[in-house]
Amino acid sequence: MRDWEALVKQRLAGLALEPEETTEVIVEVAAHLEDTCEEMLRHGVTEEEAVRRALSQVGDWKVLQRKIRKAKRRGQVMEKRVRQLWIPGFLTLILSMLFLMVLQKSGLQPRIVMSGSNTVLLYVPWLLSLPFFGALGAYVSSRAGGSRGTALLASVFPMLALSTAYLLMFPIGLAVEGIIGRQVDFSAVATALLRDGVGWLLVPGAALIVGGLLAHALLSTRSSSRSTAIG
Amino acid sequence: MIAPGIKRGTAELAVLSVLEDGPLHGYEMARRIEEQTHGSLRFTLASLYPLLYRLEKRGWVRGVWETSGTGRRRRCYRLTPAGKKKLAPIRAEWSELFRALKRLAKVSHA
Repeated sequence: MRDWEALVKQRLAGLALEPEETTEVIVEVAAHLEDTCEEMLRHGVTEEEAVRRALSQVGDWKVLQRKIRKAKRRGQVMEKRVRQLWIPGFLTLILSMLFLMVLQKSGLQPRIVMSGSNTVLLYVPWLLSLPFFGALGAYVSSRAGGSRGTALLASVFPMLALSTAYLLMFPIGLAVEGIIGRQVDFSAVATALLRDGVGWLLVPGAALIVGGLLAHALLSTRSSSRSTAIG
Repeated sequence: MIAPGIKRGTAELAVLSVLEDGPLHGYEMARRIEEQTHGSLRFTLASLYPLLYRLEKRGWVRGVWETSGTGRRRRCYRLTPAGKKKLAPIRAEWSELFRALKRLAKVSHA
């Protein structure tokens, strides 16, 4: 009796799916080949010819492997990205912005760090809270299987979103100024870009990433100590 | 025999239709389709399983492992409620296409 499963396993060696899924595909394809072969044997075909005809259904095993992988993985990449990046990223963004709104509503005044024309406003309690939000984003992303890079990206997501808005806001502002015929003072624009960039993007971004790095380091330590205990 | 390019579009309809009568495993499904179409539609292993996995991902069919009386494990596919719902519009689309081709053929022959 031919070992169809061993044969299929060898031919589909590069399937690269989850181990359980790979086994299921191998068993299913092997069963199909076995049924085809048995049917032909019942019709009086020689075993050699039956095996040849059964295998001829596949043609190119590499093509079959690629088709199965494509069919099985459809939607998985997008799903993963949503769970590992978009959900933790938006969670970090919403919570950090809500907290800032609460602080502002409660009458918190920003701290002025530099005086004169280069004034940088910092909401110190908000900045102190950002490592926690960054850590939360990295934690949720890591729990969903996100890599180190994805977890850190999720933790600084609020600043990435703000940077995008910020980079769009200035050219639009300049265009509007141009349309209404107002003279644009480029040195003032550059100063404002630098000031707001430091106060709203650079410092909060650093606070978020510190939290993200700490959370990721903590999770990595825990998982490595767990695997050591199992091993 | 129908050309492969035309058959490709009919594959989903064929699989969903044959599963409407009840659950089947891959080999039975291929045989049933071949029998019911008098050999016009033939599914090889290479065309059937990627299609079944795609349909399963979409939630139109569901595969469940079953063990036969002889102890063999086979994955039986059944139509899901979403698959049943999808079958009607697919059928309607194909009927519309056949009607259109019939009308076109009449015009061409006139």
